[in-house]
Amino acid sequence: MKKKIGVYICHCGGNISDYVDVEKVYAEVRNEKGVALAKITMFACADANQKEMEADIPEKDLDGVVVASCSPQLHLTTFRAVVERAGLNKYDYVHANIREQGSWAHSDNKSGATENAIHVVKAAIAKVRNAESLEPIKISSVKAVAVIGAGVSGMRSAIALAKAGCKVYIIERDHFVGGRVAQWENLFSTNETGEEIIKRLYNDTINNDNITLYTGAQVLSQSGNIGSYRLKVQINPGFVRNSVYSYEMDEAISVCPIKIPDLFNFGFTQRKAIYRNHSGQLPIMAVIDDENCTRCGDCEKVCKDIDFSQQKKEINIEVGSVLVASGFDTYTPKNNEFGYCVIDNVITLPQLKRLVAMSDRHLEYKGNRIKNIAYIYCVGSRQLDGENKYCSRYCCTAAIHTATEIRRKYKEINNYHFTRGVRTYGKQEIYYSEALKMGDVFMQSFDNELPEVLQKGNKTFVKIKDILTEQKELKLQADLVVLVTSMVPRDGISVNDLFKLPKGRDGFLKEIHLKLRPVETVIDGITIAGCCQGPMNLTESVNSALSAATKSYSYVSKGELELEPIIAKVDKEACTWCDACFKACPFDAIIKVEEGFKVFARVSDSICKGCGMCLPVCPKDAIELNSYTNREIEEMIDMLASD
Amino acid sequence: MGKVTYDAIVVGGGIAGCEAALNIANNDFNVLLIEKDLSVGGKMILLSKVFPTLDCSACITTPKISEMARHPNITIFTGSELQKVSKYGDNLFEVSIVKNPRYVNIEDCTGCQLCEQACPVTVPDQYQLDMVGRKAAYIPFSIANPRVAAIDIDNCTLCGACEKVCPTKCIDFTQEKEEWIIHVKTVILATGFNLFNPEMIPRYGFGLYKNVVTSMQMERQLAPTRPFHTVLRPGDGKVPDRIAYILCTGSRDASVGNTMCSQICCMYSIKQAQLLMGALPMADVTIYYIDIRAFGKGFNEFYEQALGMGVNFVKGKIGKISEKKNGDLVLRYEDVCSGKLQEAEHDMVVLSVGVVANQDAQKYFTDLTLKKDRHHFVQQVDPLLNPSKTSIEGVFVAGSVSGPMDIPDSILSAGAASVEAINHIIQFS
Repeated sequence: MKKKIGVYICHCGGNISDYVDVEKVYAEVRNEKGVALAKITMFACADANQKEMEADIPEKDLDGVVVASCSPQLHLTTFRAVVERAGLNKYDYVHANIREQGSWAHSDNKSGATENAIHVVKAAIAKVRNAESLEPIKISSVKAVAVIGAGVSGMRSAIALAKAGCKVYIIERDHFVGGRVAQWENLFSTNETGEEIIKRLYNDTINNDNITLYTGAQVLSQSGNIGSYRLKVQINPGFVRNSVYSYEMDEAISVCPIKIPDLFNFGFTQRKAIYRNHSGQLPIMAVIDDENCTRCGDCEKVCKDIDFSQQKKEINIEVGSVLVASGFDTYTPKNNEFGYCVIDNVITLPQLKRLVAMSDRHLEYKGNRIKNIAYIYCVGSRQLDGENKYCSRYCCTAAIHTATEIRRKYKEINNYHFTRGVRTYGKQEIYYSEALKMGDVFMQSFDNELPEVLQKGNKTFVKIKDILTEQKELKLQADLVVLVTSMVPRDGISVNDLFKLPKGRDGFLKEIHLKLRPVETVIDGITIAGCCQGPMNLTESVNSALSAATKSYSYVSKGELELEPIIAKVDKEACTWCDACFKACPFDAIIKVEEGFKVFARVSDSICKGCGMCLPVCPKDAIELNSYTNREIEEMIDMLASD
Repeated sequence: MGKVTYDAIVVGGGIAGCEAALNIANNDFNVLLIEKDLSVGGKMILLSKVFPTLDCSACITTPKISEMARHPNITIFTGSELQKVSKYGDNLFEVSIVKNPRYVNIEDCTGCQLCEQACPVTVPDQYQLDMVGRKAAYIPFSIANPRVAAIDIDNCTLCGACEKVCPTKCIDFTQEKEEWIIHVKTVILATGFNLFNPEMIPRYGFGLYKNVVTSMQMERQLAPTRPFHTVLRPGDGKVPDRIAYILCTGSRDASVGNTMCSQICCMYSIKQAQLLMGALPMADVTIYYIDIRAFGKGFNEFYEQALGMGVNFVKGKIGKISEKKNGDLVLRYEDVCSGKLQEAEHDMVVLSVGVVANQDAQKYFTDLTLKKDRHHFVQQVDPLLNPSKTSIEGVFVAGSVSGPMDIPDSILSAGAASVEAINHIIQFS
């Protein structure tokens, strides 16, 4: 039982004190049982105040501390560190949130907010009175990282980790590396091609002894926790023995009777069930697509390198951290959204890029020579009715860059941009000015009055009420309408579900805090990189990938980690093993132990997350949660419910 | 003189430098961080709330810098300037640093502010953008780190009043410049950016019309450590109720030599507009823009929120501002939506000034060539795959020293520079 508690109440520079009467809170709590010192501070988190607390603790001989300020998400660790520096156990500290749950939530009711704050602080004092000192759980950390996805983000972070001396396992679902960037030709800012970029990364990847690359692989299951995640990975065979280019392999591909749309070219072309990598993808080899192959055996007859005896393999790897770089999908417009799927010559920007990559001397689509291209921006982004409220960030620049590249390649093309305000932020502005200088025409629609795509006879028109020409109704006959589509979260990524990674309102994976912890997730040891987190261009993805590498590295570099001791513990004497807790635990942390005739439950320290699911189901009340013991919670409730 | 070898030196103690220093130090490497200002924290520590989450900026910055200040692997030099970086042997850099005298013993000062009260000299407070005064003996600002006094020797009259009242006798007028030579394996440049000086656009009348302020001045007025308790226009101290924002002041403007978009001004203006609507519920806020660039995670939603709150957005560029006798301002502009020339009256105008390159970094390298890009930022020589790499092997960039960036982007860029620096240290150890 703590008898000398220090309480600090924070103004948060007006964030709290504009709505909560901090003086009144101070007056109400200073005489609470056990409180030896109470103070008001402008910024509790500021260095000067931290120093003051550090001095107060030995001076007043404090044995427990409460800071009433913002969310513990922001500053719990800050103040735990303060009390530790002053010689207390860090669990002698309790955080009272009177900002997010107080002043901000009740900004319309100042006296109510003050009442709320008084009760919350009193409850925190009650909790710290009963707090017990705890020691962190120390576990060893495997100096290895699993990287999910072998796009640019995945490979780039893998190389950085490997150079720092970590073992890295890259797990790529596809049989080839390269992700989305493999599909693009010239990239903005340096005009390198996607192929060149992927080649550089692939060479660095396979030439580094610390990296093991698994293609055609997916994670089947996971167990463990930060420091030691055990992944079961399934590796699907390509059914081809020799990867070198051969005439027989060409034959094998040409005799294959199966034709399916080639997603690499967004369905513009078809491929066989046995197919090669596209230029841009690596390694150079052919594979058989198990899903579509009928095992007719035609390829086997002409090529000796086909090997249907190859089996699926399962391997187990152990890593200290997992870095998720699972990328994005491009938005597929709805049926008849700006005429997509209904009007013949409406395609998307990614399709246009592939079309250009595959075209030679003229830009042609379905046999027609293209002269006028209309680009409609923000398709799948900034939707008024749809779900995607966000801006996809890369598309304005991508569209303008593609358009100007097309004009350089095919002099006869005219570009017409139907925008909602061009967002070529930062240095990318130069692409916009270049396009203007080259004679591209830009129009802008109102957000609630978007352009329309119409078909009259065999001609396609785009109609807009243009802000830039005093709201004139303009109509353009276009040979090709290009929908500048957004980035959307990628579906069917097994690790997202296996690790229960949280998603934001936009559907992309969610970081803990955009500024404080931008590449970490709430699942300890799992970092996120690149476009799985939200739309980014290539440079931004790489920055994010390298940041994630930095974080993942810091989880494993020392070989040891400290975990929160806030876990459940079973009173072995009271437990009668009814298995209720075993069933309730979402993390499989409960182990059945038999000692002679005695059967009881035990909690695995490193797996338990302290969620508390096992507590209420126990019929014998034999489980307690460290730092949230029944006594602490009961006294807190008494305080919250008091007048 | 202390230790003269470090694994890494981080130049600049803003949010990017701080993030990089922490990342490197957390992996057991020694870092020296040098900051030319009296406090670390850079521009971010002076901000009010940050977009798009409206988190309090101080709440994010102060714990980071406090963690850095305490880190056993990090040494911080404030009030220090980098003089020169040159190669030392094959794998090291030799860095010369001048530590300017603070005339206060940092270790002994308790920040009691008695010297401030005793000092008879008042000069404009640079941390409040000259809107209020400070003393010649002063603590930079209330959440500064280190939060200790300094003597502004250029304005000090050497009257000795501060010395007399100081309870710990930490004021020392005999302090002199210290020169340090330090050897490091890698250099991280995090010297940040400068804000555009709006006096270069005379038609906006900044410096001439009292009620035309910069966005950074408005930012200070909205910050928790603000100079006044409310928002005031400087001309007569009236609480404004028709506030105009002029976006792209000094950005996307060939006439001032900067054709680039500054990337942050749309969003910080939208944020300030939202904060103003909270602080002054009766005020009208109008934002004059070319395009709204709400591109990052959560940004467009934040823009929509401002629209919903009633912020008035007008697409059009301001041609001219003139001042009325009562200090109100008449804005002449082209209303793009109607194609007509219009005039509007506001009682306060905020210039959303853009980002220009801080070219300090180039000065440090005389034997080595640190290339710059066409906008005078440090050039990223391999922007697609190694964004923090510069033209000098072992020298990396973090944050807005290589181009305009918002806070999340700066932090990610610093994260990238960190692992590159770690890789470099390991490779040459």
